[in-house]
Amino acid sequence: MIDFTFTEEQELFQKAAREFAETELAPHVPAMEENDEYWEPVIDALCEAEMMAITIPEEYGGLGLGYVERLIALEEIARISSATAMMMQVGGLGIAPILVFGNEEQKQKYLPGLASGEHFATVAVTEPSGGSNPKDCSTTYVKEDGKYILNGRKCFITNAHIADVQVVFAADADDPSTHSTFIVESGWEGFKATHIEHKVGWRGCNTGEIELKDCEVPAENLLGPEGKGMRVAMTVISDVGRGGMVGCALGIQQACLDASIEFAKERELYGKPISYLQAIQFKLAEMKIDLEAGRLLGYRAASIQDAGGNAGNEFAVAKYYTTEAAQKAAKMAVDIHGGYGVMQEVDITRHLRDSFVLGPSAGTSDIMKVIIARWVLS
Amino acid sequence: MVSIVVCVKAVPDPEKADEIRIDPVTKALPRQDVPLVINPLDRNALEAALQFKEGGKVHITVVSMGPPPAGKVVKECLALGADEGILLSDPAFAGADAYATAFTLAKAIQKLDKTDCILCGRASSDGATEWVGPELATFLGIPVVTMVREFVATGDERWKVKADLADGYRLVEVEMPAVFTVTKDLNTPRTLRYSGIIKARKKGITTWGLDELDVSESSVGLKGSPTVMSDLTYVERKSTCQFIEGTLEEKADFLIQKMMEVGVL
Amino acid sequence: MSRGSTNSVWVIAEGIGGRIPGVCLELIGKARTLGDTLGGEVGVLLLGYGIQEQVDELFHAGADVVYLGDSPVYEKYQPEIFTETIVPLSKEVQPQIILLGSTFMGREQAPLIAARLGTGLTAHCIDLIINEEGILEQKIPAYGGMMTIVCPEKRPQMATVTQGVFPMPDLDMSRSGKIIPVEPPEGLRTRVETLKVVRKKPEGVPLESAPVVIAGGAGAGCAEGWQEIEDLAKTLNAAVGSTRPAVDEGWTELETMIGQSGKMVHPEFYIAVGISGDMQHMVGISGAKAMVAVNNDPQAPVFEQVDYGIVADCREFIPILLRKLREKGDL
Repeated sequence: MIDFTFTEEQELFQKAAREFAETELAPHVPAMEENDEYWEPVIDALCEAEMMAITIPEEYGGLGLGYVERLIALEEIARISSATAMMMQVGGLGIAPILVFGNEEQKQKYLPGLASGEHFATVAVTEPSGGSNPKDCSTTYVKEDGKYILNGRKCFITNAHIADVQVVFAADADDPSTHSTFIVESGWEGFKATHIEHKVGWRGCNTGEIELKDCEVPAENLLGPEGKGMRVAMTVISDVGRGGMVGCALGIQQACLDASIEFAKERELYGKPISYLQAIQFKLAEMKIDLEAGRLLGYRAASIQDAGGNAGNEFAVAKYYTTEAAQKAAKMAVDIHGGYGVMQEVDITRHLRDSFVLGPSAGTSDIMKVIIARWVLS
Repeated sequence: MVSIVVCVKAVPDPEKADEIRIDPVTKALPRQDVPLVINPLDRNALEAALQFKEGGKVHITVVSMGPPPAGKVVKECLALGADEGILLSDPAFAGADAYATAFTLAKAIQKLDKTDCILCGRASSDGATEWVGPELATFLGIPVVTMVREFVATGDERWKVKADLADGYRLVEVEMPAVFTVTKDLNTPRTLRYSGIIKARKKGITTWGLDELDVSESSVGLKGSPTVMSDLTYVERKSTCQFIEGTLEEKADFLIQKMMEVGVL
Repeated sequence: MSRGSTNSVWVIAEGIGGRIPGVCLELIGKARTLGDTLGGEVGVLLLGYGIQEQVDELFHAGADVVYLGDSPVYEKYQPEIFTETIVPLSKEVQPQIILLGSTFMGREQAPLIAARLGTGLTAHCIDLIINEEGILEQKIPAYGGMMTIVCPEKRPQMATVTQGVFPMPDLDMSRSGKIIPVEPPEGLRTRVETLKVVRKKPEGVPLESAPVVIAGGAGAGCAEGWQEIEDLAKTLNAAVGSTRPAVDEGWTELETMIGQSGKMVHPEFYIAVGISGDMQHMVGISGAKAMVAVNNDPQAPVFEQVDYGIVADCREFIPILLRKLREKGDL
């Protein structure tokens, strides 16, 4: 039927991503925890390791690989730093609409730089009015003298201060039920990344607000057909966005399991390692079950995507499952560690805090259920 | 075009292999599925070859003797930048000690068109005899320098290298072709990159067995090994350790007291 | 005895720089024991320059015959000249066993000689025994136990041994023996040349002779943790030793590594900090009056091999110990 194993080449990709994460990324993690605004060296490392080039075709300077390979990389990176995995996944989310909906000029202009890491991308949809209902969008555009003028504010934008290429979702000022997306460069007049948002977890992952004040966007930077902005945004968020969250979540799950196994084998109570106690064993088993299930859900959805299909629904299932599982795994890991589990120096508390930020990213769990119900009932 | 051969051994991941211990009950080695990796010091050897390649026209051939799973390790070397790989694999090669290993590697290298330089790690993480490099050189009839920590002058018919000593180094001049065994201090091996893995798609790995090397079964593997393991025993550890109780302060006091009693404080 | 060779036991001794390393004398002591069991003579092959006066000590240690190559040609270590001296002589005399110290020269020469002679060679043995069949059993630690290697057919049986594994032999000043001069090989075209040797003076207390050794391992955790161990050693005027993980992490040099493929030490007091107790390391320590281990894992194998165990996080314990030692020093 189906071969659920990685190819030899995919195994090498996994090894490369793991090596990168363990040797080049890991040293930065303490600094990220210490300083919520420490992301520059991490982004440099990501780009130097070709991580942003994975899904960009070879003709634009990318590696020409698929979303399975992207998920492999995200998982390995998230195991060491889920915060970094998030910045990487949203960077990929900013690249995706240009890949799917961009015209040849736009692709030639932006993709090579995004592949090399010279430029970094993001997608800006969410607003204070609520990300769960993107239709209710206060950022507007007007067409004037052959260019577009954008006004508005976006929040909870990952890579807000890093990305110099931002795909912005806005409503037609005259007809708010119509939306378009634009490729906006951060250096343009009227664009500003403003407030840095400090989250309970994912420290070092750049999240912030952006503001557009009479920002002039040339007509050639309209991305996709005018008026079809919702389709552009939702298409990429559904698979690339949700798929990226799966990687961020799986990494946390694996990290929690690894740490719990190590601790359970060393920690002694009643004369034996606690790994001999059924209560502990059951928690480890649950973490393992969730990892097996989550991986299958994620890789299956990514395979559908790579085969050219639409995997938005499958990714909704995977995103829901893995992000919830990661939060469960973190709680179980803390419980297994006992008092140590709530000490700041121990990594487990970081996984706990990081796991919470998974929930509202790329659609809350409840929104995922809405989507899945719609799928079931259709 | 300079032809460099890098001899690589696929070894159980040293970080996981440390946990392989004789079972005190069965007194035997448990079966372990520890993943194979490139022997760490061979990565330094490969890195040296890759740095030479960056400086000029160099063709790197990786040669490795091992069972079929070792092919993945050879593939990894190609992904890191080597040009071609040769896997020496045959049931007859199993059980080889350093002598038989070096003999088999020598036979393979002799089949290549020309070899200007051979690099290997000083020792493997499993086994760690340090013998393969020098024995290989002897079978090939070329000189060897062990424990190379720096390549000082290369590119001519005679190379200059610094080789480790216990308390310093020797500056050695050697006529090429030669074998060099390298230390950890030589360089920092590069990490695997996705683009390298993609480039490796076009690179080939050839597998050679007994027939291709044209050697007799008695000269390779266990049959060709002068040394053999005759016994592996579990060492009974009798524990007479006295654990010191108390606060950290009290433990420190005890230690100081002990040192005074023994007379070293 | 067997397979066309004599019963003699050889030790290849170095005389480079005019001094014979201690390990050579230790091996002569061991060779004497092996030779007595086999009923063969102990031969020492000594190559160097200006080493004539040291030959007597070799006899005192147990040698029956010294093959002496005392020539400017042997002053520096020139690999091919050494190999081309030793190999023909070995083919002529056909010793049963050849032992070399695991010195930098020994580790390069041993395999070159073994390959030329077509025989087997075992590295870093921690014990050598003649068994009932008269074969040399070569013991090395592996997998938490002890592995025995033999070379059943080929001769000579060769092994390298690190300094400190075997004790210094008692010197019998009345012993003497035969000196057979060895000539350097004629007309040898060499392809390897040692141009110069640069030695740096070792810092701190030398490990091999220190009365107190503090050894650190992976448990030190980080460079700062390692520094605390070094500070402790300095305060105690102790030598710093290490295990492989500490060397691999870059906290310390290979020269400080204690164990089967490192140094053998015989301090009076030994403290292991953050060391799990791998056999490869523990075989490096012998003869201590007291051994103490500090480790945060009460299950660590090291506790089975020391006299006193302190279960503690070394990052917490060492600073306290340091403080108390300094307070004591101020009194």
